[in-house]
Amino acid sequence: MRGVRARPWDRRSDPIPRHAPVVSRAARPIDASQTDPDLPFSPPAPRIDMSNPFVRKLEGFGPLPDADRALLERIGANAHLIGQRVDLIREGDTPDGVILIMEGIACRQKHRANGARQITAYLVPGDACDLDVALLTQMDHTITTLSACRVVRLPLDFVKRLTDEHPAIARALRLSSLVDEATLREWLVNVGCRSAIERIAHLFCELLVRLQIVGFANADSYEFPITQLDLADTVGLSNVHVNRSLQELRREGVIELKGRTLKILNLQRLKSIAEFDAKYLHLGARAAA
Amino acid sequence: MTLKLRSVEIATGSNDRESRLVFDDGMLVAILVRLSGEHGSLADKWFLEVGFGPVKDIHAPLFDDLETAKAWIATRLTDIARRD
Repeated sequence: MRGVRARPWDRRSDPIPRHAPVVSRAARPIDASQTDPDLPFSPPAPRIDMSNPFVRKLEGFGPLPDADRALLERIGANAHLIGQRVDLIREGDTPDGVILIMEGIACRQKHRANGARQITAYLVPGDACDLDVALLTQMDHTITTLSACRVVRLPLDFVKRLTDEHPAIARALRLSSLVDEATLREWLVNVGCRSAIERIAHLFCELLVRLQIVGFANADSYEFPITQLDLADTVGLSNVHVNRSLQELRREGVIELKGRTLKILNLQRLKSIAEFDAKYLHLGARAAA
Repeated sequence: MTLKLRSVEIATGSNDRESRLVFDDGMLVAILVRLSGEHGSLADKWFLEVGFGPVKDIHAPLFDDLETAKAWIATRLTDIARRD
């Protein structure tokens, strides 16, 4: 059965959250891009009301030619709505495309036979799963939506042409992969060397910066659709220890969690608890933001 | 196996203070903590704060009462004894 499981975007009716905007959907809308990447996709229906976080992220690594930017904008126009807790691709599956998150938060995760789980990365808007995934015969981890997401799947041959024919995009994508690796190292330090409250503070600082880059956070707050259990499996703690740490951060007036919005009331204190230094995100000129 | 409990207060850095040391034949094998109101619907459940040796388990369940917790701890100890 390996590699033949239907992907979420193959289904004709995906679970769509009630609050989500209604956009036209086709069974496999992204495959329109299998034609020349420089030709307009069919149907050419860009969502002009939303700029594309993928473009914002890649432009952060350096200027892109207008044609490249236009091409990336078109990619985002065909995003697919997918409900929360849907596996986009599972461990053991044969990769059949590069997944881009345009809205919402997804994660990479590994499961143990006893049911335990470790989340090893969050994919926020603008993030892609491994660009060189075509070189692999099977996935070594699962990618799952944590909240409802708008997702694009780029066919592998399209990604190859994208990087072969657009050097500025290729460079930005490689930098993006390096930042993903640096972030994974930082998360390893987190679970290996930081206390419960430090781990959570560090994650909150990181998400603020990453979401700001793509326009999904303002100066001090962002939507945080992650459950406490997801958070526990991210930072390698029990649900109880996560809750105690959150309560402590609240008591000290550092954060406020209302509904799905995380507001950072004292960013300096949060950074200080976490010893947060954004260098590993390689922000370059954006560091002042 | 007879597990014995000793009531203590514990400084978890939170409102979770009520605790039991769990002894197996005089040896400390676990520390259970009663969850306070700050855990919402989980309040009053018993949490395995620390387990020693075979009782250590970050994914241990929460227990409705001390008897359930003791039974779970006893199973862990027995399973290991049998494996040896």
